[in-house]
Amino acid sequence: MRAIRRGVLALVLAGIAGAAVRLRRGGPVPLQQGGWRELTGPELK
Amino acid sequence: MVGAGAVGARAARQLLFLGETERVAILDSHRGRLEAVVASLGPPATAAADLRDAVREADVVIIATPAGHRGAAEAAIDAGASVVSVSDDVDDVRALLGMDAEARERNRHIVVGAGFAPGLSCLLAAHAARSFEEVVEIHVAKVGTGGPACARQHHVALQGPAVESANGTWQRRRGQSGRALIWFPDPIGGVDCYRAALPEPVILAEAFPNAARITARVGANRRDRLTAHLPMLRRPHPEGTLGALRVEVRGRQGQVQADRVLGAVDRPAVAAGAVAAMAARWAADGRLTRTGAAGLASLADPGPFLAALADRGVKAAIFEGAGASAHQA
Repeated sequence: MRAIRRGVLALVLAGIAGAAVRLRRGGPVPLQQGGWRELTGPELK
Repeated sequence: MVGAGAVGARAARQLLFLGETERVAILDSHRGRLEAVVASLGPPATAAADLRDAVREADVVIIATPAGHRGAAEAAIDAGASVVSVSDDVDDVRALLGMDAEARERNRHIVVGAGFAPGLSCLLAAHAARSFEEVVEIHVAKVGTGGPACARQHHVALQGPAVESANGTWQRRRGQSGRALIWFPDPIGGVDCYRAALPEPVILAEAFPNAARITARVGANRRDRLTAHLPMLRRPHPEGTLGALRVEVRGRQGQVQADRVLGAVDRPAVAAGAVAAMAARWAADGRLTRTGAAGLASLADPGPFLAALADRGVKAAIFEGAGASAHQA
């Protein structure tokens, strides 16, 4: 019985650790160097 | 018009705005919604009793239902009409592309993926590709959903598998893998995007058979990813908020390799309705480049099509600056 409990506990902990890794926030967000502008008439020919 | 949901109703309205549309017969399984849409559009719109009634005497049939467009497309082709499908389901798109020979034989068009993504995404890819002698890679990313069917498809797509084109072969990749921070036009900004079962590589590979790599990613938050393999925990929204596209094309011009990044921001259902209506108008007017089944990257001249969409308020943008690429070679 104790072995089953330990097994279940290990699975739960592994699941929590896996979820944390899967959903972790990434590192610093690199900034975008540049910008967007609307395409204008001559560029849509 | 088969389907009068968030996209179908807007496509019908846009068609009437574009003019020269004698009649729009609309079919929808929700009787109340169908009557409301027909009443709001006025006399050119009529409620169809069934699929046969909807496609009878039609020049073009727009299919804007949840996935499963092949049956309606076959009925439309049998009735002598061209087809515009807004499907964003990989299997559905493959089934429609499989009707190419039949459509060519009957001298009809089947526009596959004529919505926001695929649709506007394919036009942006085709337009960006015009800057190069040789297209090497295409990377599509989207964020946001349109109506409830689109939200359900987004949920299913995250389960994967993703299909990617690599040197002429198809690779199946795990859904939610390949996280990349993608910068979309303002006000969306940076969003983490992941591989998912998205149809763009399937559609664009037909238009760019020599491209070494074609990928697609979708923006997803933690809840989307955690619950992707579960039934949807709550009913999808009637309509999403702002969505965005970013299409990065790498190519060669002479000996120089360069990137061109195009994007768009709009409410996905609004943009999808405009794209579908414009595709139907072009199909009816004989402005598409060839008959058969293909995406807009193959069937439409992207510049004039994007210009016509811009007149309808769906505007494309270009990214200018250093470090435009979001993808590793």
